[in-house]
Formats: sequence, C-alpha cells, structure tokens
Amino acid sequence: MNRNLARILAVVAGVLAVTLPALVGAYPLQVARNIMMYMALAITWDMLLRSGQISFGIAGLFGLGAYASILGVLRGGMPSWLSIPFAAIFSGAAAFLIGLAILRLRSTYFSIVTMALGEIFRIVIHNLHDFTGGPEGVVLQGVILGGDAGKLYWLTLAGLAVALGASFWFEKSKFHFALTAIRNNETSAKSSGVNIFNWLLLTFVITSAIQGMLGGIFVQSYGFATPDTVFSADFTLLPLAIALLGGIHSTVGPILGAILLGLAAEWLKLQIPYGHLIVYGIIIIIVILFMPQGLLGLARKTVRAADRRKP
Amino acid sequence: MAMKRRTTILVALGLAAAVILVLWKPTVLIYGVQQAGLYAAIAIPMGLVLGIVHIVNLAHGEFMMVAAYATYFACTASGMDPLLAIVPAAAVTAAFGWVVFRLTIRRALKAPELNQLILTFGIGIAMSQGINLLFSSQTRKISLDYVSSSLDIGELSFGTWSFVFVAVAILYAYGLKFFLTKTTTGKAAMAVGQNPRGAAIVGIDVDRTYGLVFALALALVGAMGALFLTKSAIFPGVGAPFTMKSFCLVAMAGVGNIPGILGASVLLGVSESFLRAFRETRGWADIVFFVLIIAVILGRSLKWRKS
Repeated sequence: MNRNLARILAVVAGVLAVTLPALVGAYPLQVARNIMMYMALAITWDMLLRSGQISFGIAGLFGLGAYASILGVLRGGMPSWLSIPFAAIFSGAAAFLIGLAILRLRSTYFSIVTMALGEIFRIVIHNLHDFTGGPEGVVLQGVILGGDAGKLYWLTLAGLAVALGASFWFEKSKFHFALTAIRNNETSAKSSGVNIFNWLLLTFVITSAIQGMLGGIFVQSYGFATPDTVFSADFTLLPLAIALLGGIHSTVGPILGAILLGLAAEWLKLQIPYGHLIVYGIIIIIVILFMPQGLLGLARKTVRAADRRKP
Repeated sequence: MAMKRRTTILVALGLAAAVILVLWKPTVLIYGVQQAGLYAAIAIPMGLVLGIVHIVNLAHGEFMMVAAYATYFACTASGMDPLLAIVPAAAVTAAFGWVVFRLTIRRALKAPELNQLILTFGIGIAMSQGINLLFSSQTRKISLDYVSSSLDIGELSFGTWSFVFVAVAILYAYGLKFFLTKTTTGKAAMAVGQNPRGAAIVGIDVDRTYGLVFALALALVGAMGALFLTKSAIFPGVGAPFTMKSFCLVAMAGVGNIPGILGASVLLGVSESFLRAFRETRGWADIVFFVLIIAVILGRSLKWRKS
C-alpha cells in the first residue's frame, strides 16, 4: 500500500510540475525554475557521492557548460537548442580528462582538485579575453524559445527530468551495486572484480555532463554569461546543502531538500542580499554533526520507531 | 641508493635553474622566494594538522582571513602596528580554533573522511560568509611605511619587506621539527600522529593532544594573519586560495614532511613569479598550483601502481 501511495504521489507531483505554467504567474514560475535547477544539480552531486567521492566543483562544471553553450552560439554559430547538448558533451569531456588524471588517487585529492576547478576555469576565461569576453562576459542576441516564461520553465523541467532519469537509472542498474561496493570498501570491491577506476570515471563524466547541460540551459534562458554569475559559489553550496539536508545516497532526499531550501533561498536572498550563503554553511555543519542521514534518514527513523511501538 | 641519486639530480637541476634565473632575471628569483615564504608559512600549519590529527582542514585559509580581520579592526581602533598584534592574534586565533575544534571537528574525528571534508568545507564557508555579512566584501588595507622598503644593488632594485615571510617559514619549519622531536609534548604528539591507539595505551591523552596540536597550528596561522595584513589588502575571499595552495604544497612534500614544504613552496613561488614576469603570461600564474597538484597526483598514482 505504501508503495502504491508513493506512486500516486509521484504521478500527482509530475502532473502538477508539467501543468504549473497554466496555473501560476511569472514570479512563482521563476522560483520554480530556480528550485528545479538546484534540485537537478543536487541530484547529480549525490550520484557521484554514492561512490564515496565528494565534488566541490559543481559550479566549475556548470559554468564551463554555460560558457560552452553561449560561445557555441556566438562564436560557433550553433542554433541555441544544439548548444545545450554541446555544453553537456563539453563538460563531460573536460571531466573525462580531469578524471583520467586524478581519479587514481581518490577522496581528498579528488575533492581538492574539484574545489579548484571553478577558479581555474575562471582564470582561463579571464585570460582568453578575446574569445570569451573576459570578466565582462558575453551577451546573446536573444533568449532561447523567445523568452516565453512557460516554455523556459518546461526547458528547465526537461533538464531536471534528465537528472532524475539518470539518478533512477543509477539506483536500479548495475551502477548502484558498483558504486555502493566502492563506497563501502574499495579493497573488497576490487577483489570482487569491480573496476573501480572505470566506474568512477564513467560516473564523474555522466554527472559532469548533466551539470554542463544544466549550465547550458541556464545561460540560454538568461541570455548572458559572466564569470561571476556562472561560476558563482551558489551553484556549489546550495546543491551540497540541499542534498545533505534532504538525505544523501538517494534521489528522494535531494528532491525534498530542494523544495525546502529552494523556497527558503528565495526568501533569504531578499532578507540578506549579501552573505546569505552563511545559512548554507551552517546547515552543512549541523547536518554533518547531528543528522548525517538528513531529513529522510530522520523520517525513516521516526517511522521505524513508530512501527516498533505498535503491538 | 637510487633515491639518493634522484635527490642529487633534483638538487642539481634546481641549482642550475637558480643560476640561470639569477643571471637572466634576478627579480624573478627574489620575488619567487618571497612568495614561497608566504606560501610555506601558511602551508606548514596545515601540514602539522594533517600529519597528526589526520584532518584536511578546508577552512585553513579562512582561519587566516579571520585572524587578519581581527588584527585589522584591533589595529585601526587602537592605532597599533600589526606587527605588535602578532602575538595577540596568534593567541586569539588559537583559542578560536580550539573552540571550533571542540565543538565541531572533534565530533567528526571518528566519522568517515568524507564527512570531515564536508564539515570543514562548511566551516570555511560559514566563516567567509560571516565576515562578508558583518563587514561587506569591501577590501581593507593598512598602509605602513616600512613595507615599501627596498634595496638597490647596482641596477637591481627590489622590495625587501617580504623576506620576513621567508624568515617566518624557516622558523616555523625548524621550530616545529624541534618541538616534535625534542620536547615531551611534541614527542607525545608525534606518537599520537603515528598510532593514536598505541599512544592511548601508553597513557597519552589523545583527545587533548589533538586539541593542542590544532590550537598550535592555528596560533601559527593567526600570527601569519597579522603578518599578512602588513603586506596585502584583505577581503572575505582572501583566504580560500591559500587553502588549496597549502594542500598542494603539503601533498608535494608528502604528509609528515614539514621541511619538505619549504622546497615545494620555492618551486611554486618561483614558477608563479616567472610567469608574472612576462606580460603575456601574467594572468596564468594562478594556474601553476593546479598543474603541480595534478602532476603530484599522477606521479603518486604511477608510483603506487608500480609497488
């Protein structure tokens, strides 16, 4: 019964998500787009986390995709719809090269290198001034889909659907077993014939490609890119806080976290325009110290305790 | 034997490069070494924490930034020279660090490494954004006369103040080496670093030692915060690059090899300074550490596969 209920809820949420533009005005749609963007980023971050690797480079790969997309249109003459898959391929290829070099040494080394990515890409963009527009950024002639609020919403929803689909695929396929085995114990995973390096590289490339694609969607829907907007620390911090608060190693956790924190973020941005990110820093600290399984874990614990109390 | 030969070759190569630089562009070497002093003095405390407490403190640079801010406000309020504030800054940062350690990091010591990374990352963000919230992202600077002191040798003219960083770095490296090998507390800390369980069995208070080492490292970082303020402008994000560069240096030297950090910093500092010497390559200087860290990882993974 529980499973049926979950299915019904999922269908209702899906229908609601698709029909939202018909129901509400422009501002709620804008908020919903932000929430979906962060939700998708949080899900891709969590997909890699399931293998025990922490990436602090979400903003880096997101921004790289954003620049690939906008420069693909401006300098490469691509149609704007094509630039979005191009962004995915570009970020995925960058992740492949980086992963090839660094994924043999994992955990801390990987995390620190990803932490530097945003800064490194930013330096590259500053230095290739003539091609990338440098610190002032670049502007598109027009926004994709004519800037129609409803259509832009559906575009972001499609991006989220890709992330969700990939995440469910990871949960149901061989990925789940491979990544969980690597996370729990690399030595035993290796001795059971799991090729750790290949699985991690594949996972890093897939999640980075999705992050790049989201960057492409972002930049095409706003029509401009500057290093400060697309490599903003928001794109690393919010997804991290969202996935941790909701509950890591699952798809449902980041969904839950994104709805909660995404709404809170809109309110916080208005209340504290500068320095609102401190809230996410504090959320990260509190979750790690007191509820490492997030709200989802807390809910599971409560349900289990309630079950036990029943005769 | 092979190890010794390789070290000799490396030293010879380094010397040759230094001689060429002295003849061709002496300021590259001078400013590179000065920069290396700054990097090393900040990286050494991170090496200490990593070697003994086994925590990668991703809030490392942020602690220095907070120390520099505290010094800035103390000095502008009282008209004190930042140099006089070095000792109080060290004491205050150590106390602050100890509190942060007791309240947060200590609880995650037994947790998986991933949790520790996320935790210290969160602490760093909370610190830099807290400063941003309180004092805005405006840059602040104290101008001091003695900082612009310079020396002329023939046609060559260069600033001399930054050599103070080199002195501090050497003092830190050899002071810590003395502390860890010659004093009782230091030896106990070494023992804890090597084997916490064994250390506990022979009666060392492991928990206290961790707190002590963390506070000591932060005292060194705090002193550097005050010293950093004499030379540079500060803003909330000023510490973050130092976290990554420090980790790069510690990784290059190898965990537990504190004097090795000095050599690694010279490589980083001089390479950056070399790129900064030319107009076309100036902007790429900040990418050097990234290239170095990738080279270190590649080297390590090859060695690891061989053995």
